[in-house]
Amino acid sequence: MASKSNRAVMEPETDRSSHSPELLLGLYRMLVKCRMCDEKARILFRQGKYKGNFYSGVGQEAAEVGTAYSLREDDWIAPSHRDWTSNIIKGVPLKFCFAQLFAKTTSPDRGRSSPAHMGYPPLHVITPASSIAAQLNIGTGVALGIKKLRQDAVVVAYCGDGATSFGGFHEALNFAGVHKLPIIYTVQNNLWAESVPLRLQTALTNLSDRAKAYGFPGFPLDGNDVLAVYDAAQTAIARARAGEGPTLLECKTYRWYGHSEIDPAKYRSKEEVEAWKKRDPIVLFEKQLFDKKLLTESKKAEVAASITDEINEAVEFAEESPYPEASELMDHIWG
Amino acid sequence: MSRTITMLQAINEALSQEMERDDRVFILGEDIGLSGGVFKVTDGLLDKFGEERVLDTPLAEGIIIAASIGSAMMGLRPVPEIQFADFITPAVDQIIQQASKLRYRSAGGYSCPITIRICCGAGGGSGLYHSQENAAWFVHEPGLKVVMPSTAYDAKGLLLSAIRDPDPVLYFEHKSLYRQAKGDVPEGDFTVPIGPAVVRRPGRDLTILTYGLMTQFSLDAAEQVSKKGVEAEVVEIRTLAPIDKATILSSVRKTNKVLVVHEDKKTMGFGAELAAIISEDAFEDLDGPIMRVTGPDVPPIPFSPNLDKAWQVNTEKILAGIEKLAAY
Repeated sequence: MASKSNRAVMEPETDRSSHSPELLLGLYRMLVKCRMCDEKARILFRQGKYKGNFYSGVGQEAAEVGTAYSLREDDWIAPSHRDWTSNIIKGVPLKFCFAQLFAKTTSPDRGRSSPAHMGYPPLHVITPASSIAAQLNIGTGVALGIKKLRQDAVVVAYCGDGATSFGGFHEALNFAGVHKLPIIYTVQNNLWAESVPLRLQTALTNLSDRAKAYGFPGFPLDGNDVLAVYDAAQTAIARARAGEGPTLLECKTYRWYGHSEIDPAKYRSKEEVEAWKKRDPIVLFEKQLFDKKLLTESKKAEVAASITDEINEAVEFAEESPYPEASELMDHIWG
Repeated sequence: MSRTITMLQAINEALSQEMERDDRVFILGEDIGLSGGVFKVTDGLLDKFGEERVLDTPLAEGIIIAASIGSAMMGLRPVPEIQFADFITPAVDQIIQQASKLRYRSAGGYSCPITIRICCGAGGGSGLYHSQENAAWFVHEPGLKVVMPSTAYDAKGLLLSAIRDPDPVLYFEHKSLYRQAKGDVPEGDFTVPIGPAVVRRPGRDLTILTYGLMTQFSLDAAEQVSKKGVEAEVVEIRTLAPIDKATILSSVRKTNKVLVVHEDKKTMGFGAELAAIISEDAFEDLDGPIMRVTGPDVPPIPFSPNLDKAWQVNTEKILAGIEKLAAY
């Protein structure tokens, strides 16, 4: 968990009472939306509605929502395979996200990428690859382009704890440090790189310490506290926009399910999973909102109902969309 | 106006003129700025364009290519350099998993107009890790274009085409040709299109399909056998991908015999693909086996002068190949 000293560094001017009700309820709705879409994607997979696999991010929503919620249209995100829902936060219409699951012509890439590899050029979502840390490298290149073009957009690039062991992670952070690039590296440390525990991945306690080697700040955060992540991200984004360079945010969190839908995750203890489920980022935030009297049971039900409607409409759209014709196979190889 | 310059000067001139013409173009790589490049290919460009457009990078090929791909997605036209083809392996993930697939996987939503300049080839004693000619690795990957000039004229014209191309282009420069290949090159803007092969020497008896430094050696060999009454047609495949089947097949249909010559290793090399194409599309036109004169299947190019010499394809080896094929 984030130490108080680190939080103090990240939030020198942040007063939590200063978050507007609109922002708090917006963050809440987005957390619930990501959770419900992700759970729906899992169900659809189990129903055999699409093939391949799905990499659930349930349990990690606060890390994604906290970092991507306030981004502008011209900002970029570089998701990992587990960040399908980051498309939703960036504003990609839900119908396209579900069309991507089903690999239909109405998906942004006409059914070429599997759900783990969804991107969306109009809103600057980089297409992730399964090559570990690849999106951090491409995201770093985009940040170089932003700087060269003298724009004030930023890149939020995601990876898991596993990617921080990979050489490309270090090449990317080093390069971004040298050139003070406008990028926020967000490590969702869920303690497991597929089935490899953190203790066999690193000798560090905080992965955020890796930033020290590259000359920019890194902060360990309670990744299940959406406001802690949001506040830290706001500081990092402001720093990036001001040309002061990258930040590494380590969001300590947990994935509730296996690495993918075909992984029963028997390598983890039930006690560990249950302990983390008790720290459900949505429930934690709900409590805060109830305390502030911003949320009621009926409002909560209303949010869930409206998202259910959105999801049903999107799934219907996706199901009714056609598959690409075989004749499209050779399209878009070269320009 | 044209004048005689070296391939090295032609490459430098193309970079300089394109950077002047298009402010989206920038170059990046190891030792390209302050030192002007190991072979001085980028000499003078830092002084002319400044650090923002001539970027000395950390020694990390993966991020050199990734930084190029990402900035190309932002609309820029990066020209990264891989100092030696031997060092390209750390960047292969970025080239194959990212650059080659980006357009296809996004159905045209993203594209990747980068030109990767790669110094390649045996230079006589350069040893294990400064000698490889490995262009064929990348020909296997649709989405990439692969070119290798052998003349100063093509070096400039192909580089300008590559930088203006909407797709990732791997531009291989043979280090033995940098100062040795000299020729008339226009001072102004011109392009040599990516794609077409070129018949460097017409002949009726057999076709030599070759590229890179081997073009020179093949032309030398063709001149020598001409004295013995054998006329070899030399076709230079300046663009390895996408391949110009029409020019190749038309030459095969004329001569009915094919010798493939390349510096790279034999097994699964570019020559194997050429043989397969010809066998599929011009089988009835062949009067003999498709033969290959190539580098041997030895893991690295050895350092000792005798071994290095034994390794290299040279005019004598090509002559032997021609004679064997002509006898059919």
